[in-house]
Amino acid sequence: MTRSKDLDAVAPDDPVINPSTPTPPPPSVDSNSADSTDPLRQKAYDLMGHAKHSLSALLVNPKVFNFEEKDHDEEILVVLRPHWFTNVRWLLITFFMLFAPLLIRVVPLLSFFPARYQFVMIIFWYILTFAFAFESFLSWYFDVFIITNERVIDIDFENLLNKKFSEAGLDKIQDTSTRVAGLAQTMFNFGDVLIQTAAEIPEITFEKVPNPEKIIKIIQELTEDKH
Amino acid sequence: MLSNATTLILFITKIFAIVGAVLYFIFGLIVVKQVGMMTRSVNDKFNGILTVFSYLHLAFCLFLILMTIVVL
Repeated sequence: MTRSKDLDAVAPDDPVINPSTPTPPPPSVDSNSADSTDPLRQKAYDLMGHAKHSLSALLVNPKVFNFEEKDHDEEILVVLRPHWFTNVRWLLITFFMLFAPLLIRVVPLLSFFPARYQFVMIIFWYILTFAFAFESFLSWYFDVFIITNERVIDIDFENLLNKKFSEAGLDKIQDTSTRVAGLAQTMFNFGDVLIQTAAEIPEITFEKVPNPEKIIKIIQELTEDKH
Repeated sequence: MLSNATTLILFITKIFAIVGAVLYFIFGLIVVKQVGMMTRSVNDKFNGILTVFSYLHLAFCLFLILMTIVVL
């Protein structure tokens, strides 16, 4: 039975083989396939290494990370948060708050009140402790510094419901410097990265970030590519 | 006389506790709003867990109001 050559007459599931236009090979699923940001991603890996877990203060080429102001074709290269050591203070406070009700047995501050009043007060104290720890964690977790293939960004939540967003294009960066001060910062290798820009915001500061000298290096590499 | 004074003090304490619990519930609502705003701004792996914690905290706040009314 001869088949009709008119494509309009071909049934949808009939194979149509045209030897003059060979079927293109399937696209490669290699994760290292070339695109314009792959050299930048590789530079980021070479300089920064790989993050060990999602709560790390340093995320390189994070697979699950996004921000509201991101452009469609913008690639996130590095995400930074303040060094974990900055959390020690509120962790210690939370620890002592957890055991504070035990002091009531030693120092009977609430002995005037009946047992049910003391019970409710202790419940309230632990809810307050949870809120303090939760707010402190949120303050650290959402204080992010982002380096993309186009710009550097500082997102900061200064207090409840107050968000600050600062950005500078890589081509506007004029000067970068670091500041490592004090025993803790020297021991654990974290500090401030100061970025002087020709943009509306003259200076962006990445505060208490890990490996500040490597951050400077990656920014320098990216600005060289832009210029 | 002493028992009347004690009863009065406990009653005032209960009133303050209820008012404090209601104000704390409002704070819990603000925390939920805050986490919502933060997770919209920065989308990361733990956003779901943090949202759950914020609602859990709000539930604790509501529980606290009930405790102050019923237990005290």
